[in-house]
Amino acid sequence: LNRILVVDDEQQILRALRRALVARGYEVATATDGKDALAELESFSPDLVVLDLNLPDMDGIEVCRRARTWSQVPILILSVREDEAGKVQALDLGADDYLTKPFGIDELLARVRALLRRSRTEGSPPPRFEVDGIQIDLAANRVRRDGRDVHLTRTEWSLLEAMARHPGKLLTHRWLLEQVWGRGYQEDVEVLRVFVSQLRRKLEPDPARPTVIVTEPGVGYRWAAVAPEGG
Amino acid sequence: MSQDVDRSSAGHLVRLMRPPRARRQAIGYAVGLVGTALLVAAFLPFRDEADPLAKGFGFLVVVVAAAGIGGIGPGVFTSFLGFVAFNFFFLPPYGTFVIGTWEYVIVLFVNLGISVLISILLGRATERAEAAEARESELRTLVELSRELVVRPPGTEAYREIIGHVLRTFGYEAGALFVRDTTHAGGLREEVSVGCNVGEISYEWDPRSKERPPERLPLSIGANNVGLLVLRGVRPALTPAESRILRAFGDQLALVLERDRLLRTATEAEVYRQTERVRQSLFAAVSHDLRSPLAAIKATVTDLLDQDVQRSPGDLRESLEAVDSEAERLNALIANLLDMSRIEAGVLQAKLETVDVSEAIDSSIRQVGRVWPGVAFHRRVGDGLVARADRVFLDRVLTNLIDNAARASSVGGGGVDVVAAHTDGRVTIRVVDHGRGVPPEARELLFQPFYELDQRNPRLGRGLGLAIAKGFTVSMHGEVWVEETPGGGATLAVSIPASEDGG
Repeated sequence: LNRILVVDDEQQILRALRRALVARGYEVATATDGKDALAELESFSPDLVVLDLNLPDMDGIEVCRRARTWSQVPILILSVREDEAGKVQALDLGADDYLTKPFGIDELLARVRALLRRSRTEGSPPPRFEVDGIQIDLAANRVRRDGRDVHLTRTEWSLLEAMARHPGKLLTHRWLLEQVWGRGYQEDVEVLRVFVSQLRRKLEPDPARPTVIVTEPGVGYRWAAVAPEGG
Repeated sequence: MSQDVDRSSAGHLVRLMRPPRARRQAIGYAVGLVGTALLVAAFLPFRDEADPLAKGFGFLVVVVAAAGIGGIGPGVFTSFLGFVAFNFFFLPPYGTFVIGTWEYVIVLFVNLGISVLISILLGRATERAEAAEARESELRTLVELSRELVVRPPGTEAYREIIGHVLRTFGYEAGALFVRDTTHAGGLREEVSVGCNVGEISYEWDPRSKERPPERLPLSIGANNVGLLVLRGVRPALTPAESRILRAFGDQLALVLERDRLLRTATEAEVYRQTERVRQSLFAAVSHDLRSPLAAIKATVTDLLDQDVQRSPGDLRESLEAVDSEAERLNALIANLLDMSRIEAGVLQAKLETVDVSEAIDSSIRQVGRVWPGVAFHRRVGDGLVARADRVFLDRVLTNLIDNAARASSVGGGGVDVVAAHTDGRVTIRVVDHGRGVPPEARELLFQPFYELDQRNPRLGRGLGLAIAKGFTVSMHGEVWVEETPGGGATLAVSIPASEDGG
């Protein structure tokens, strides 16, 4: 039984989400402000947090920052279209994904399932993927396409690894740049773009319509390939 | 400006403007001439008694006087005059320029040399003193004008006073200040004119015209031209000193004009920034308030559409009720926004008719009760109370006031009382809550639109509702205000004219 903490200052949305999540077998706790949210995070110890950015006492970004100082619980951000900047900031601080209000409950449930699955597999040995005739073995540092080795440069490898180790998670530009190039390069989004398109040319069956490295416009990229269970 | 300051500044300008050289030199020459003549006349009867050398010192006194008054010229002139007169009248043989003894020749020329030397030294000292005095007076004038410029608050009135001061100081009759304005034809706009009508002095001057050319003082900072000061009047051409002062003053005036312009720009920018801030939080608030119910509806409805989930009839009903109340909330919000824009656009037209106050209150309580099912409402309304009001407006006013009270009570508890009474031709309805109350300093602001807007977390909330209540009440010739509820909480009161048909 998975435990989900929903944080939103709008009672009506809290009730709607609680109804929908309880009906699907999740155990749900709710909080209406940042202070409550952090308290519940400790006492309820949820497996996932659904966090609205717009809270009365401290904003969701701050909740995110404080939560991440001691907890790695997956965080799904709820934002409105006017708060693009806040959304990216929260993701940079370690939130895992976001949804823009208003959203359909099916969308929310899909994100919730993906995040919970990912957090279960985290810490397991480096995954191997096989998608559309491409085999990626992170443990062996090897990529094969149609049975032949694909050569990747050192930077391309680090980028591939940074993404593939977090399947399904929305990775922001800043985060990827820091992982691959280090601090001080977090603003060079163009460089990242160039390397992503090189990777896609080497990996994707159809680089024009990527299915493995998916673009999240204005935010970052998502590694969409799924590791086979137990693999 | 006091008369004293006026006179004193005119005083040292007079000192500055007097033609010192010509007049004082003339006096110097006269003193030399007359003094020498008197001395000759005085000494002549005794020319055989005293030693001729002693008489020579008498002439030295006249030289000092002439040089002291008139400077080098009169001094040297008097020296030679004395030399000739002494020789002619007092050195034997008398009446000739022939000198008898060598001793006398030496005395005569030493005397002349001393006289000329004294004249030159005295003349130089006098010149220096004059120059220092002139410089000091120049500075004093400039300092006075500068102080005027700096201490006055920016604005046309200040420019008018300062130009008036310049006119009086320099003896002009009229003046006009033009400032650079690129939106204006010719690039210059007349800022202020003193001593003449607006437009009478032009910033252009036709060299062919027979009129006296006005003094035109360009005002610039570096290569940047900021304006032009034109002074008109009958007075002699400016002396170099006056011209210097005027130019220095022009430089300062240019700086002040520029300072005032920058100040204005900064103020405009600040006003714009404020408006922009309010506009943005208003936008965020509208977007949040519209989207929240919509998000709840969408989440609930998409949940209901999922047929894989088993639901009890109770759960199903709860979901549907949630959708209904959220739709109601959206509807109320949109009505509020439309009402507010009608009030702000000034297109409200109350249709006044006789309205049963008791009925209006019941209807509003019913509406609000649906939104706040947990709040208890009590009404105390006299029988047959009728007001002259717009039925729809009154309903909106009461609904908003009661909704506001219900919201306050939902936190503090205690329920909402609605009390209506007829006094002095007016019906007063009081909506009493026992919530946290409104601090006195916020009572006026409560009815401002978006009073409750919080920068960081914008919500339209009830701020809009009370502003609408006020707008509608005013359009019905009514008043609305806040009182303190005895024992804690706020009482919102509305008073409208009673109808003459009943009551």
